[in-house]
Amino acid sequence: MGGKKDQTPAERWQETAVREGVLIRQAQEGDQQAFETLLRIHDRHVFTVIGSFVRRKQDVEDLAQDVFLKAYLALRQFRPGAPFAPWLRRITVNTCYDYLRKIRRHAEVTFTDLGESERDVMRSLAEHGYPAIDNQHGDRVAARDLAERILAGLTPKDRLVITLREVHGLEIAEIADALGCTRAAAKVRLWRARRAMQAGLRRLIRQEEETAQREGRNR
Amino acid sequence: MTCREIEQLLKREGGEDRYSTDHGELASHLKSCRRCGEAMRAARLSSVLLGALRNEITPGPHFYPRLHARLADTEIGQMDAILQAWGLAKQLIPALAVGVVLLAVITLSTGGSRPSPPVQAEGETDLHAFSLEEVNLPGAIGRPSRDQMLAFVLAHGTRCDVRGAPCEDESPR
Ligand SMILES: [Zn+2]
Repeated sequence: MGGKKDQTPAERWQETAVREGVLIRQAQEGDQQAFETLLRIHDRHVFTVIGSFVRRKQDVEDLAQDVFLKAYLALRQFRPGAPFAPWLRRITVNTCYDYLRKIRRHAEVTFTDLGESERDVMRSLAEHGYPAIDNQHGDRVAARDLAERILAGLTPKDRLVITLREVHGLEIAEIADALGCTRAAAKVRLWRARRAMQAGLRRLIRQEEETAQREGRNR
Repeated sequence: MTCREIEQLLKREGGEDRYSTDHGELASHLKSCRRCGEAMRAARLSSVLLGALRNEITPGPHFYPRLHARLADTEIGQMDAILQAWGLAKQLIPALAVGVVLLAVITLSTGGSRPSPPVQAEGETDLHAFSLEEVNLPGAIGRPSRDQMLAFVLAHGTRCDVRGAPCEDESPR
């Protein structure tokens, strides 16, 4: 698998591209083993993208199955020489989009909707930022709960854009490519999604302060 | 520090440290300005919450065997569909032949076909493309084959090189 030691990154990249090209051709001719080898090179990225929208491992696997099945059916139309990873990412994002469209969008979340652990995590994160999360499992779950609640108020496309940018660090051009839209459209969506998320969080922070003040008065 | 500067700071892309309040001027502004304090806390919260969505999952041991089974089903399904379609097509051949002749007669009698309007305006601006037909687009648009390139060079080479006239595909300077 690993390239030779004295290879430059460009040579390694070239070698990988050639190897991938061979696998794609074999898979296009119906070689399922070659198709699996190809998928194993890229499955981590597919799983990570899906995993940012879906939490249960079984559900992630189900969606990944759909992605790979769609890829298999569309593979015959794949033009040799085109990069495989963005193509597969596009199918992955498509599949996540379909999933997000099916799940219900929620109305804006209020502080009283939050569970105790979400409130705690929100307070400490707003005060101290990232160090406050400190890899405590409970905190991570609560942070994810809270993130999902807020993102559930966004449109599926806005949610896709902000997740691809902020969670997976994709460039605007890559997001536009994955969504099949222009860079300008991707930028506008990202701006809108960030603004909506900020607005939701500011509302929660304000409500939290009001609650704290009320509780202070009542004590 | 002014409210505007803090707004700019929050808009900037970067790591965690952009939300650090160790900076004395920033800390004192945040204490005295409720709006900026709220914006800073929201920004800090947003960055950590989004980070919590990262979910490292790898395929379980049954993932690929299950995929193989589904692929095999698909292959059989596709073959059945092709056979069915062929059976249907065979029955429809005479009707299709008559249809083609009629269409040709109508087209000729109305003076030929007009070009159809573009399906999609250029510079399409919004997201809509989530269909499988479009997933093959990135980087995949027609790279000419070697034969096509050779044919092009043979057809255009002398005109560009010998007479010094611009090639047809060169844009005016
Ligand atoms: Zn201010």
